[in-house]
Amino acid sequence: MRSGHTVPTLTPVMIAVWAAFATVPLWIEHVGLYQYLGVEVLIFATYALAYNLVLGHSGLPSFGHGAFFGLGAYGFGLAQLNLVPDLWFCLGAAVATASAGGTLVAAFISHRRGIYYSLLTIAFGQVFWFIAIKWHTVTGGEDGLLKIERLPVQLGVATVDLSHNVSLFYFVLAIFVVVSLLLWRLVHSPFGRILRAIKQNETRARFVGYDVWRYKAAVLILSAGLSGLAGGLFAMAQASAFPDVMSLHYSGYIVMMTLVGGGLVTFWGPVLGAIVFLLARDVIGAFTTGWMLWFGMLFVALVIYKPEGLGGMFLRPARTKRPEAT
Amino acid sequence: MALFEAHELHLRFGDRVVLEDISLSFEVGRLSGIMGPNGAGKTTCFNVLTGRYRPDRGRVVFDGADITGRSPQAISRLGIARSFQLMNLFDEFTAFENVAIALPETRRRGADPIGQAYRDSALVGEAHEILVNVGLGDRAGQIAKSLPYGERRALEIAVALASRPKLLFLDEPTAGLGSDGRARLADLVRKLKGAVTLVVIEHDMEFLFSLADVISVIHWGQVIAQGSPADLRANPWVRNSNLGKLA
Amino acid sequence: MSIIGLLPHLVNGVALGLLFALLALGFMLILGLMEQINLAHGSLFALGAYFAYAIATPRLPLPPDLLQAWAAAPLGWRFAAAVFVAPVLVAPFGVVLERLMRRTYGRDPLYGLLLTFGAAMVIEELIRIVWGTRDYMLPVPRGISGGFLMLDLVWSTYRFWAAGFAVIAMAVVWLVIERTRFGALVKAGAHDSEIVQALGHDLEKLRVGVFVLGTMMAAVAGVILAPVWGIRPHMGVDAVIPAFVIIVLGGVGSFWGAVLGGLLVGMVVGLAGAYASEWSMLSMYLLLILVVTFRSRGLFGKKSVLEA
Repeated sequence: MRSGHTVPTLTPVMIAVWAAFATVPLWIEHVGLYQYLGVEVLIFATYALAYNLVLGHSGLPSFGHGAFFGLGAYGFGLAQLNLVPDLWFCLGAAVATASAGGTLVAAFISHRRGIYYSLLTIAFGQVFWFIAIKWHTVTGGEDGLLKIERLPVQLGVATVDLSHNVSLFYFVLAIFVVVSLLLWRLVHSPFGRILRAIKQNETRARFVGYDVWRYKAAVLILSAGLSGLAGGLFAMAQASAFPDVMSLHYSGYIVMMTLVGGGLVTFWGPVLGAIVFLLARDVIGAFTTGWMLWFGMLFVALVIYKPEGLGGMFLRPARTKRPEAT
Repeated sequence: MALFEAHELHLRFGDRVVLEDISLSFEVGRLSGIMGPNGAGKTTCFNVLTGRYRPDRGRVVFDGADITGRSPQAISRLGIARSFQLMNLFDEFTAFENVAIALPETRRRGADPIGQAYRDSALVGEAHEILVNVGLGDRAGQIAKSLPYGERRALEIAVALASRPKLLFLDEPTAGLGSDGRARLADLVRKLKGAVTLVVIEHDMEFLFSLADVISVIHWGQVIAQGSPADLRANPWVRNSNLGKLA
Repeated sequence: MSIIGLLPHLVNGVALGLLFALLALGFMLILGLMEQINLAHGSLFALGAYFAYAIATPRLPLPPDLLQAWAAAPLGWRFAAAVFVAPVLVAPFGVVLERLMRRTYGRDPLYGLLLTFGAAMVIEELIRIVWGTRDYMLPVPRGISGGFLMLDLVWSTYRFWAAGFAVIAMAVVWLVIERTRFGALVKAGAHDSEIVQALGHDLEKLRVGVFVLGTMMAAVAGVILAPVWGIRPHMGVDAVIPAFVIIVLGGVGSFWGAVLGGLLVGMVVGLAGAYASEWSMLSMYLLLILVVTFRSRGLFGKKSVLEA
């Protein structure tokens, strides 16, 4: 950031990203893909942006974020099936459930950093995953929660049906736009800059007067809530919620997406990562079984040779700094 | 009036006594020096005074309030700032942002996740003023990591000043500096003197003797001598040790 | 539940704990000296189990005559061969992994963790490609399988044998670390890699050696545990998590911490199984969170790279 300058709320890159997404339903079927993939990409892009708030922006290497995504999915499904089948209410429930989970985890781990932070988030992730599998009466066990509906959007004057993938795509895009805008503002806000400072030097941040753990707890809860929002959208898109998304594998996938895209060095990196990950799954998957073999090798190579990820390659060299203590 | 007092501080790490019965007091508006050989416990003493370590026994009183064992952030908010001997900056921030992040205004807005961090012109002005004060006026836009060593030292002090302290601790501010750098830093400290109460750890005698109003000598975790530079020059303890070469 | 009623759970817990300890020890060896979290440890463990299955059943890419002759050998031989040969077959994977990790030495340990997570995904996928997604069972020779009656209860014979194998394997590792020159160097290097270099030893070779030892321990644990847990592609991830739980619980860098951590986890899981068998594995994580909340470095831990 340049000294004393403010950052524009809307940037050309941001508008280009939104506009590019808006055109997706027009051509995606012509290139041999399918409309639902677009929905999935947007949901995971939202999730990855929320996750990167913790990993890239605050330097907190959570390895159990799947739990929050999953809590959002179950929160959405349970609210719909047992309480009020209203879209806004259910999405609110998704955010609330995931934030509550985030609060619990944050209370235990916010005085940690580095690898201990990772290990404890894995442990908490496993706890939530395990509960999701075993608590049959509420979560439906390994089969998951079925019969979740794509609720219509109530806009007061009009109602929009989301049962088609294209209309769902535009709804998810609207949420993506709002979330990415909010996160862009957040990383340039006092709260966001303080998190950045804590990432670089926790000790100094404390000595200039910051209650470091409060900030670390707050950002985890916020990130959990937004991951839960993505999870709620996913439950709606899939018409189900199942424990898989809470497993260590899925928690690892979001780390992979974020890093591959370059979340450590750029704001939009996680979005690129989500696109690359899901495209690789479908495209490599179409040619061979075991796409993860190839994607895993790509990931290993990136960690070794280019930890800034693909996003790092688009930056001018002067701005690609080796990330420290992330 | 004593702004800051430490009474009979004791600290041990394992079976090693690091501080033994240390009592110090720092007067408002003065520059107090702490000196002693390497490993004498100066930095540990600083760490206890600024809340990094909790003493096993003893009390620390600031502005009439007992602050023993309080957290660094709580002590910082009361108006005590410190610089670090080993450089301790926000390396990827610009010099401007290093200072701006430490300003009380930024902290006060710390819960704001939407507003622009550095839009307020008073805040930006103050950050620049502090940079100008320490001689970094034209370095505002540079990444801290890329600044030369001497300027990083100055930035270290600028960050500490940003919290508008009543009392400022400087831990070996001249460490690693050449004679030019020392002279420049001495000018800076002279300028700060009077504006803020200062406590400086140093083992550069010349530096301390020329600036301090009062000096405490710490050795083996104890205060072995105390007084004005003139008193210390006359003190046989100081004369006989290699500390006294200057005297 | 009476004490007698709890006894089998407790005994099974101890047996399970010894197996856990073996699993965790290799993980800790690599963490202790290399300061690297090897999330692929579980995948190496899984490879050990799959190779053992291939050797013992036998399903090997050998000429038909040779394969037939081997298949005709008594199961006892084949099982014994699996215990000794499978770890040797897995060792090269450890060498490759170490080679890949070199670039991350001296960097934030997070990169090692990410790299090995990627490697774990690759190995797991390889397993799926070669062996498919179905479950396998490693056959156990008659002499050490089946069950027996004691105190009016049926006990699984193999579990006791498995615990015995684990104790032997751990004793061998202890001897290697405490009684050999290699072990002395490893321990010196764990505290100060400069000393090792100053003594004129090749740190690179030492690192490969440690990695191979850790890898083979993972594989041995995989062979011994295969008849108890079954063989399936995600067994690696299922196994690596208890391993790290034990290390964090016991404290990083302590041999006896890993052993006691393993026993503690085994007993807690065993006893939890007595009351709510469905939920027994959950107890492990709750134990970890509880202990680490109050003792931040685990039971026997010293300051380590984990706090970086």
